[in-house]
Amino acid sequence: MTSKKLTCNARTVLDFRLQARGSEMKATVLRAGVTLAIIAGAIAAAVVISRAVVGSRIVANSGASVETIRIAEHRQPRIDALNKSVPRIEKQLGVIIEVVEYPSPEKDYLSKLLTELGAGNAPDLFTTNYDSDVSDMVSAGYLAPITAEVKAWDGYDQLFDVAKKLSTSADGQIYALDSMLLVEQIYFRRDLLDKAGISTAQPANWKDLLDRAREIKAKTGKYGLLLPAGISWGSGAFSEGFALFVPGSKTPQIANDDGTLNLNGEGVRDIFRLYKSLIDEDLMPIKPLLGPEPWVIPKYVMFPAGDLMATTCGTWCYIYDWGKASKNPVPDVTKNVGTWAVPGMVGGSSVKISGSNIWAVNAKSAHVGLTKKVLLALCSVDATVAYAQVIGNVPARKDAADNKDFQALTELVPVLKNVENGTFLKSAPGFSVVSEGVARATEALLRKQTDASGAQAILVKYVKDLLGDNVVN
Amino acid sequence: MAMTYETRMAWQNRMLLVPALVLLVCFILIPAGAAIYISFTNDALNGFAASHPQLVGLKNYVRLFSDEGFWNSLIVTFFFVFGSSIVGQFVLGLASAMALNRPIAFRPIFNAAILLPNAVPEVVAGFIWISMLAGGKYSTLSRIVGLLGFAPHDWLESTPLLMIIVVNTWRGIAFAMILMTSGLSAVPGEVYEAARMDGATPRQIFWRITLPLLRPTIFLYMLVSTAGTIAIFGLIYTLTRGGPGGATEIIGIYIYNQSFIAYQLGYGSAVAVIVLGVSIAIGAIYVRVLKVQV
Repeated sequence: MTSKKLTCNARTVLDFRLQARGSEMKATVLRAGVTLAIIAGAIAAAVVISRAVVGSRIVANSGASVETIRIAEHRQPRIDALNKSVPRIEKQLGVIIEVVEYPSPEKDYLSKLLTELGAGNAPDLFTTNYDSDVSDMVSAGYLAPITAEVKAWDGYDQLFDVAKKLSTSADGQIYALDSMLLVEQIYFRRDLLDKAGISTAQPANWKDLLDRAREIKAKTGKYGLLLPAGISWGSGAFSEGFALFVPGSKTPQIANDDGTLNLNGEGVRDIFRLYKSLIDEDLMPIKPLLGPEPWVIPKYVMFPAGDLMATTCGTWCYIYDWGKASKNPVPDVTKNVGTWAVPGMVGGSSVKISGSNIWAVNAKSAHVGLTKKVLLALCSVDATVAYAQVIGNVPARKDAADNKDFQALTELVPVLKNVENGTFLKSAPGFSVVSEGVARATEALLRKQTDASGAQAILVKYVKDLLGDNVVN
Repeated sequence: MAMTYETRMAWQNRMLLVPALVLLVCFILIPAGAAIYISFTNDALNGFAASHPQLVGLKNYVRLFSDEGFWNSLIVTFFFVFGSSIVGQFVLGLASAMALNRPIAFRPIFNAAILLPNAVPEVVAGFIWISMLAGGKYSTLSRIVGLLGFAPHDWLESTPLLMIIVVNTWRGIAFAMILMTSGLSAVPGEVYEAARMDGATPRQIFWRITLPLLRPTIFLYMLVSTAGTIAIFGLIYTLTRGGPGGATEIIGIYIYNQSFIAYQLGYGSAVAVIVLGVSIAIGAIYVRVLKVQV
């Protein structure tokens, strides 16, 4: 009885406490509710104000609703070049252009872009810098076809033939337009080689090139030739290094017409053998290539300092890497830095041409038609020359030669005239996998884990693992 | 039938868990399930597989076991976790907690100094350490050793794994110290008093009293810290991106590289699933095999 009474008392006390706590909770909930209402009100006000600001901008521009086109761009010089053209295009087409700044370097940019393309929330318009990425973007269904618009465009006839070929996919359609061209070959320190009494004549073949690098090492103690390599260099290990030697090898094209890839060929092994010789004989710097941003030390520090005498590079090196836009320029760069065409394995030579600033329209854009117009406007002479001024690549249009701003770029004028003499690699679906495979194979060479045959096996296995056994020849 | 008070309270308590459960399901369980599914496909960020991923069975897992890069990253991860979490952070965290558990002058300042690294965002911390460890005569560490007559050195290139262990130890001491301090405060003072009256030396007190009574806290720390260190990404990505030559490519970086640099979401997911399994196994060892209540 007593215990029951005690229990009842305890329950009463507990209920009382709970009631008291309930009142406190009600007050807390009320306070929280008021706070939330204030926050919600503030957010609503902010939304209304921001919409009013955007709306006023739209009205101010045209007096009616104006579409906004979002463009992805990365690296400050490129963003600056794009921003130079934006006001003109906005006025010309009556659109609002929003430049979305993406991360650099190239691989980070592309990773973010591809992730957003996959998720369906990427900007309307974007660039890629390598033809090898375009084929795979087409396969993924990310790009809207632009064939009809490009062919009806008044700038089409002004495009170099090589730009037209590079822009056209295997199915005959155009999905991305190469607005600029990369002209790549071997750049060497003419001033320092002359001083050391080393020949600056065009090397006749790979053996001659290798002997030149050996001579540089023997006479100066400096590195003789750099070929971009390794995983950290990303797509550049293929596009800025390996690919330059393909046309002069026994396997002059990797992509076959039937969609297969020529990777088991002798030519591929020979190119890896060239890398192997440079690495094993300590003719090219290795340590910087194994770290993050591997181009920084060899290209921006060692080459200007004369610690590296030759490297594969493109026209951008005359402006961006060692020229007027460089933080560590080579004095009188066009005189002191000479160029060699890339020699063939047994003879002949080639200059590699590839696309750059390859503009493409997001297939899932809400304004595909208008975005295509913006794309074409970005391939105008003015827009491409603006890029040429800060990046150092050449416009893909013949009529750029007549532009007075371009004529001031004396480093690029002679290159533009010879663009049509270059060679290019046909691209195909799966090329981004090949590119990564070459990076992995050359990484193994850099780490001295394999020989040329082993590197080729790494490349072939990687591509087969990802694309299937039937894709590799 | 009306619910009893206890039943009503039990339901109320369960309902309180619902928001956390919803978040757990939406942001942990469903993504984990999706990752497991994707690991059996050839899904990719680019190329035909991006739009038409296909089931490939165990192909990704078979490939993984013959992938030297994967094994390398597991080994690197083991040394990184062991060096920074189990040895570095724990030892220094415990030492700091014991030192600051005593009535010493300027204790709040010492506390703040130890807690400060944890307040710095991961990426900012990474950049700070790059300026400390970079090659060339202007890096902080090279200047310091330069005063002793040594030549400038690129620390992230010559001893990269050791350097990331040092950096992660620096960053994680505070967490270890906080947990150990809470553990130490739970040890009754009478026990130490009795030990001292029995003539125990400080060393005996540490090994026979402090450490055994801290055991649950230590294992809780080990569990949380090991899982957290395995999952580290931003700090290492900022410092080395896994280089040079894979020397600091811990498993988180490896997964990122496979998924977002090589664009192989399926293969990257397979690696992530293996790591999930390893993490669960480590948790099980800590919690069940050692019979520690956490």
